[in-house]
Amino acid sequence: MADARKGFLIDTARCIGCRSCQVACKQWNKLAADPTKNQGTFENPRDLTPNLFNRIRFVEQADDAGGVKWLFMNERCMHCGDAGCMKVCPSPGALYRTKEGIVAYNRDKCISCKYCVSACPFNVPRYGADDRVSKCNLCADRVAGGMAPACAKACPTQTIQFGNRSELIARARAAKKTLFGENDLMGLGVVYALEGKPEAYGLPEKPAIPMSIFLWKDVIKPLGILGFWGSIGAMLFHYVTVGPKKLEEENETKGGTTHE
Amino acid sequence: MSNYVERFSTRERVLHWFVTAAFITLVLSGLGLYSRLFTGYFDFFGGGANAILFHKIAGVLFFASSLLLFFSHGKEVTTFDEDDREWLAGRGGYLSRDEAHFNCGKFNPGQKMFGIFIGVATLALGLTGIFIWAPLAFPRWLVQLSLLVHGLTFVLAVMFTVIHVYLATIGNPGTLEGMLYGYVRRIWARKHHPKWYREVE
Ligand code: HEM
Ligand code: SF4
Ligand code: SF4
Ligand code: SF4
Repeated sequence: MADARKGFLIDTARCIGCRSCQVACKQWNKLAADPTKNQGTFENPRDLTPNLFNRIRFVEQADDAGGVKWLFMNERCMHCGDAGCMKVCPSPGALYRTKEGIVAYNRDKCISCKYCVSACPFNVPRYGADDRVSKCNLCADRVAGGMAPACAKACPTQTIQFGNRSELIARARAAKKTLFGENDLMGLGVVYALEGKPEAYGLPEKPAIPMSIFLWKDVIKPLGILGFWGSIGAMLFHYVTVGPKKLEEENETKGGTTHE
Repeated sequence: MSNYVERFSTRERVLHWFVTAAFITLVLSGLGLYSRLFTGYFDFFGGGANAILFHKIAGVLFFASSLLLFFSHGKEVTTFDEDDREWLAGRGGYLSRDEAHFNCGKFNPGQKMFGIFIGVATLALGLTGIFIWAPLAFPRWLVQLSLLVHGLTFVLAVMFTVIHVYLATIGNPGTLEGMLYGYVRRIWARKHHPKWYREVE
């Protein structure tokens, strides 16, 4: 996959918070508008929704002169190399990986179990009125046709750069950027060049599939299958070695058919 | 004098088989959710979404009926005495062919422990099941933990049930009749549950 893998490099330093990406995504994916309220911040909407696959997180910080400065972070599905959502999804084909490494989905196959919500390290999947998964699909249709995703195309400052993942990373490295997501979870499909610590952007320092999800899917599941057959095997073994507790007097009452 | 004594009332028997039917439905509809190795089991229910629906309905029925079963013999199952200690020390005589005699009441300690386990497992599965049912209404960590506990309890319940079925059928000939028509043979009762037999004789 390594070389064919497409991805984003999001250079947060370039972002001016115009939210063209939010709008372009809605337009291409035909997503309805979400009514919002003024909540005393420029950040809007304040969370991903079933109709909002990416958004700009506005992080307010005090600057040296006592004023306010912003960090802008484009939040979306990370298209993880080792994707928690795909690990737990019980419905084959609901979530799938394209040959470009995109974690795409087919809503017709989603069975609304919502396991992917619990397994995603970035809390990305959302559910609309139809109770099916929705999230950024990395414009898999556009990418398959050789086009750039809508959000990258619309970005006026080249904050959102799309291309071959390895090339994007090499270029950012050459420019001495601090990268996030290069190797975590077998490499995120969305790599960030950050201006500070990941925590400052609301990103986990070491993103990982939640421990309980790992124990559930990678430990209990195989051990459970082993345990099931083990218990059946143990019972059969007991039957042929120690044997059943027969009722001794049975022979007398039946008369004749002694076999012990 | 009849060769048989009554072991379980009609109510107890119907309840037991109701619990069993719900349990089997839960296992079959849950297998596809447990692992993609078992996706084929969804087909029994007409797809994954329907399997989830069956699982929810059977889950509610199992929870209610299993707790009822537990409480209907709660006292017999949760009290252990000196004779039980002896049974436990001798592993119930299950590890050798030598004839072992234990002074068991209506249930032996192994059955009591199974009864208690199923009671606790029912609570655990039911409670975590609610969190998994509506994952967006509860904190993420709680739902994540619930998925883990639900899976683990499921595995244990299936394993213990395998043992239970073995011991209640071919492992102890004559036992199943008690749960089928309610009567067991006197020699069975004298052999397996002498203390109980003396009470009902
Ligand atoms: C095909 C499956 C099953 C068979 C053949 C079976 C058979 C039996 C029999 C014969 C008894 C009476 C034991 C005696 O007379 O001492 C019994 C008791 C009992 N069964 Fe089952 N059973 C099955 C499934 C289940 C399941 C799925 C559960 C619960 C999840 C369950 C829970 C119990 C409990 C709690 C008792 C009370 C006594 C004890 O703890 O052994 N059974 N079963
Ligand atoms: S960010 Fe979440 S939804 Fe996206 S691929 Fe990773 S685990 Fe799946
Ligand atoms: S909610 Fe849908 S996409 Fe998510 S794990 Fe369940 S079936 Fe898969
Ligand atoms: S890649 Fe496509 S689906 Fe994903 S945020 Fe950008 S425009 Fe939306």
